[in-house]
Amino acid sequence: MSSFRFARSALRARPSLFSAPVQRRGYAEAVADKIKLSLTLPHQTIYRSTGVTQVNIPAASGDMGVLANHVPSIEQLRPGLVEIVEEGGATKQYFLSGGFAVVQPDSQLSINAVEGYPLEDFSADAIRNQVAEAQKIASGSGSEQDIAEAKIELEVLETLQALVK
Amino acid sequence: MFSRAVRPAVRAGSAAVTRTAPPNAANFATLREIEGRLKSIKNIEKITNTMKIVASTRLTRAQKAMDESRAYGKTSNTVFEQAETKPLEDSKTLFVVASSDKGLCGGIHSGLTKATRRLLAEYPNADIVILGEKAKAQLSRFASDKILLSFANVCKDIPTFADAQAVADQISLLPTDYSSVKVIYNSFINAQSYEATTLEAYSEEAITQSANISAFEIDDEALASLREYSLANNLFWAMAEGHACEISARRNAMENASKNAGEMINKFQILYNRQRQAAITGELVEIITGATASEDM
Repeated sequence: MSSFRFARSALRARPSLFSAPVQRRGYAEAVADKIKLSLTLPHQTIYRSTGVTQVNIPAASGDMGVLANHVPSIEQLRPGLVEIVEEGGATKQYFLSGGFAVVQPDSQLSINAVEGYPLEDFSADAIRNQVAEAQKIASGSGSEQDIAEAKIELEVLETLQALVK
Repeated sequence: MFSRAVRPAVRAGSAAVTRTAPPNAANFATLREIEGRLKSIKNIEKITNTMKIVASTRLTRAQKAMDESRAYGKTSNTVFEQAETKPLEDSKTLFVVASSDKGLCGGIHSGLTKATRRLLAEYPNADIVILGEKAKAQLSRFASDKILLSFANVCKDIPTFADAQAVADQISLLPTDYSSVKVIYNSFINAQSYEATTLEAYSEEAITQSANISAFEIDDEALASLREYSLANNLFWAMAEGHACEISARRNAMENASKNAGEMINKFQILYNRQRQAAITGELVEIITGATASEDM
């Protein structure tokens, strides 16, 4: 009888032994959690609620990395590079021309951008030509709207130029 | 005096009667007429059939664009669902009706008009912005004082984001601050059916006062941009989906028209053949009677 009781206490002790590592949340486990990424453009859906490990986004307030269980927030994006660390550890890089990223409470990240393409698809020569063209308009004597548009274009292109080597 | 005025009308009426006389009343004249009708129906069938083929080739592209825009719009609206944003009480509402310029596509436009009418009964002090001439013509019949802006030539082809941005820009320039902008569009259910639905974009105030917004960290400066951006996103979604609906409805309408024309062609062909035979028989009878009569002589 007493041995039976002893066995039972041992049984009870065992689950607590197992549950101990779960309560201690280390970095490794946080990374094991996935964040559901939706990255959409008006004409294309790049990610549709796909589980990824980490996403680095160029927010207007500064670059930030988003892991699972990030604090919910709404961030405006600058033109810049979005880096996506997929489950296997492979990274993908997309250049977005600006938009919004919203971290939802249930570990979802929704990114809406107006334009975006993989970084390796850009050609350095084409960028150089367009920068020259935009500079010509920006310093020219066009209407105020044309100059403002050219300046925005220049901002995007210069960021892109710095990234594409 | 009175009788003289009436007489031409009577004469015109009697002329119309002789035209639509029953088909077995006369022979040669109606035979020609039937031939003419047959030809014109055949031409109409050719046209509707071509329009159907054009619409079906455009449909696949439009549907693909619609799927992408739907994913885009849904991603953009998740934040308002999570924040449980609601329009403010007793405030101005703006309706944006996403229709288009072209007809021959079934009840696409009148469905939107009816939905707008229903919503107007709910929100009597709302204003209206219209995309497309068709809905404008229909809505200006009973709510012309509420129409603030209207755009022609949008939604002609697959809409681009730049189109939506241009419209959103004009809307944001309107003097009144609307706490809720409802975009009324046809949502695509399947190839046969569509339904007028609304998408909602909110004002900054409505966003900051939504129930669950405190869960999010947000910059106040970003809020104005978020509002404009989400309006453009919703417009883009509505335009793309409305376009796909229109094309698919046009395909169906043209398919039905071709089918009806085919039926009419069959009917008229049979009628034409029968009359031709009757005429020939009549002539034969005349000839034979004439021949036998001259033999007897």
